[in-house]
Amino acid sequence: MATFFEQVREMGVKQATIAKTDEVVGRITTGMNIDDIRGALRGDEPRRPNPRLRPHADSFWFHIRPSFYHTEVTRIYPTFRLGWLATFLFVWETITGIYLMVFYTPRPGVAYSDIWNILTNVPLGSLMRDMHRLGAEAMVLIVALHMLRTFITGSYKQPRQFTWVTGMLLLVFTLILSFSGYLLPWDQLSYWAVTVAVSAAEAAPPAEIIGQNLNLLVRGAPTFGAGGLLRWYLLHVLVLPLITGIFFFVHYYKVVLHGHSLPPGREKAGEDTAKRVPKTDRTYFTPDLLTSELMWTALATLILIVGALWFYSAPLERQADPLVTPLHVVAPWYLAWSQGWLKLADKVIVAFIFMPALATAFFVMPYIEIGKSRRYADRRVGLSVTMLFVAFMLVSNWMGSPEYRVESSPEQEVAQDLIPQEGHSVILAVPYEDLELGTFEPGQVVAGNPRFTEALAEFEAAMNRRSCNVNGDRWDDDCKIGEEGADKKYSNTFANEAMPDPTAFLTIEEEQHNLKRLIMHFSVIDPDDPDNVLVDEERVAFRHADSGYEEE
Amino acid sequence: MQVKVIIGTLAFMLAMIILGLATLLEPDRLEEATAAYLGRQIENGAQLFRDSCVECHGTEGMALNCVDSAGEEKGCVGLPLNHAPLLCGDSSDRMAQHAYTGSKRNFIRQTIASGRPNTLMPTWSSEFGGSLEPHELDQLTEFIMNWGEELCKDDVVTEGTDWPADWGDLPAGDAANGSDGYLAQGCSGCHGIPESSPDNHLGVGPHLGNIANAAAEREPGKSAEQYIYESILDPNKFIVEECPLGPCNEPSQMRLDFGTVLNEQAMADLIAYYMTLTGE
Repeated sequence: MATFFEQVREMGVKQATIAKTDEVVGRITTGMNIDDIRGALRGDEPRRPNPRLRPHADSFWFHIRPSFYHTEVTRIYPTFRLGWLATFLFVWETITGIYLMVFYTPRPGVAYSDIWNILTNVPLGSLMRDMHRLGAEAMVLIVALHMLRTFITGSYKQPRQFTWVTGMLLLVFTLILSFSGYLLPWDQLSYWAVTVAVSAAEAAPPAEIIGQNLNLLVRGAPTFGAGGLLRWYLLHVLVLPLITGIFFFVHYYKVVLHGHSLPPGREKAGEDTAKRVPKTDRTYFTPDLLTSELMWTALATLILIVGALWFYSAPLERQADPLVTPLHVVAPWYLAWSQGWLKLADKVIVAFIFMPALATAFFVMPYIEIGKSRRYADRRVGLSVTMLFVAFMLVSNWMGSPEYRVESSPEQEVAQDLIPQEGHSVILAVPYEDLELGTFEPGQVVAGNPRFTEALAEFEAAMNRRSCNVNGDRWDDDCKIGEEGADKKYSNTFANEAMPDPTAFLTIEEEQHNLKRLIMHFSVIDPDDPDNVLVDEERVAFRHADSGYEEE
Repeated sequence: MQVKVIIGTLAFMLAMIILGLATLLEPDRLEEATAAYLGRQIENGAQLFRDSCVECHGTEGMALNCVDSAGEEKGCVGLPLNHAPLLCGDSSDRMAQHAYTGSKRNFIRQTIASGRPNTLMPTWSSEFGGSLEPHELDQLTEFIMNWGEELCKDDVVTEGTDWPADWGDLPAGDAANGSDGYLAQGCSGCHGIPESSPDNHLGVGPHLGNIANAAAEREPGKSAEQYIYESILDPNKFIVEECPLGPCNEPSQMRLDFGTVLNEQAMADLIAYYMTLTGE
């Protein structure tokens, strides 16, 4: 071919530049020049030989993708784009994760202040953290739904059993990836959630040999510390992304190899025609799928940015303190089912018998369930079992939620509802200026101060849930009295343990410039013996003008 | 397909516009987050102060109203912290006293971390065997520094009030008030008296059981009242060779700033009270 200078001499600068640009574009796209791209975007028929197929042979990224799909699988149903979305989120997590990695050191003490540095000092740091965390939770959800969809459409059946197995592995990796990231901020939330979750390791039988060593392995020491954090960090940023990436390619290779399974109703039972696509049913990757995927990329990006900016905020509690266990430690929602199971059986049974058995069942399922038909009508038992299993998981999740927690003493519960040791509360969310100085009753109406009045109403509601009347009529419910004698027990409709005729009030004092002290007092006097004080408790919290809880 | 191109392009442009807006608003957000971080540091510091410091430094940090772990009122043995000579000025009086040339924040943090040798202030940093982690030291420091926000607004006099040379120029003292002052000003934290500490078990300052007589004999030509008066204002002024009850370290471990925390009446009351302690 002529050099650029020869072309200039031959057809002038303008024409030569156009020709050169065309050539460069053709090289980058491995075969499509500017006219071809324009034609593809306009929806024109391709020229012959079709340049849109060349990239699938010559280019690295396109050779991974099939050059055409069966039109039936390019609609929302049957794939719902879930596998694609999971892949998108994996890339998304990698990009946002690398940004966060730049500002993070996996070391107790430093890690936590690094997170604050990301929030206070790094441009878009808070957005990146929110997007990373939102993406992670979305990814868990999407991957789980992807698996559910695969089961429902019967796409795990022959010849796609192994695709299912790799998919199961990817689900497990996604869960561990998400959960290993949980520990990294090194705040109370992460520290204790992970401590509780891995406490099962200690119980691995026989505990003296396997349990202890497994515990050392996952915590890096008898308790979490520098060693454990570094281990989980490496797991999160190196080991798991790497093996997830590898298994993603295995998974996708199998998907392309066998083709996307058609909607169950399209084929005869036992047939698999995914790879025999008639010319009339072909939808080409370029331009149709490509445009579609670019659109979904833009939409998903938009949704995640908007979500992280306005609707989602990654929590950050106080720095991890191995000596102070906060009340009501909860697992993240996507693992709450395991906490629910722990309420049903001993952790050895749950973690070392039930969970492995369940996982094994999932892995081998496609090799055992070999019914030929993928049609819904032929798979009533399987689909019913799936629905039951989904219901079981949802109930387990609910049982693992704070709703089902082990109750502490009633005054502690009320204090925890209103000025919790960690996290959100209705009183802390009252704007600083609206927290008036003085002493306030539950349910008191403070004139001209709706936000504070609302918080005090919440105070009354919390008291009502855990109080009852013996002599007075201050509270909603009358006491149900349990055992007689020294261990008299009071309860009401809502709680097993309630305070009989309690007095409670909230005192707000000025502690310092821009700092108020909130003191919640509870006192309960034995209804049978006025000299016997059953409860005389105080919970103190502080609120600074700038601390910004109302914006969370 | 054209629809997809349009939706995709619009979504992409919208995403970039929103990202751009977020970037424009970022400096304000960072500033707010920085203030929120400091606010939360102060909140946590307040909790720590309440848990660990009020027993000696008092609930308001003024070395007043100290309560021991059993809830009994006791003398405050710590220095006042909510106190202009500590918090006001680039280099505060107390920093000057220790010839400390670093920042005030470091002065406070370091004092908490490593304690004050030869006083009751222990080491708090976990590095030196204490109970506070480094981030907790930061939080406590921010909390203490925050008192200065209000305290140092006006031009406060950080020097001691001008005390008359002679105790006789003070107003008349009341021994009963002085007895309260002995507790409230923290004297009882270090100096024993017969009722509470016959054997001076505190062992920090000399026993005061016989101070009225002892003070009269110390310095020729100085009355007991004058001796007590000058000793409170400058604890290093007279240090005796031997102390049968309690140590007599030099320099004195007693706080040096009573001249800034007592008023003339309180001083007179204290002297009147000490003059009733005659060893009987």
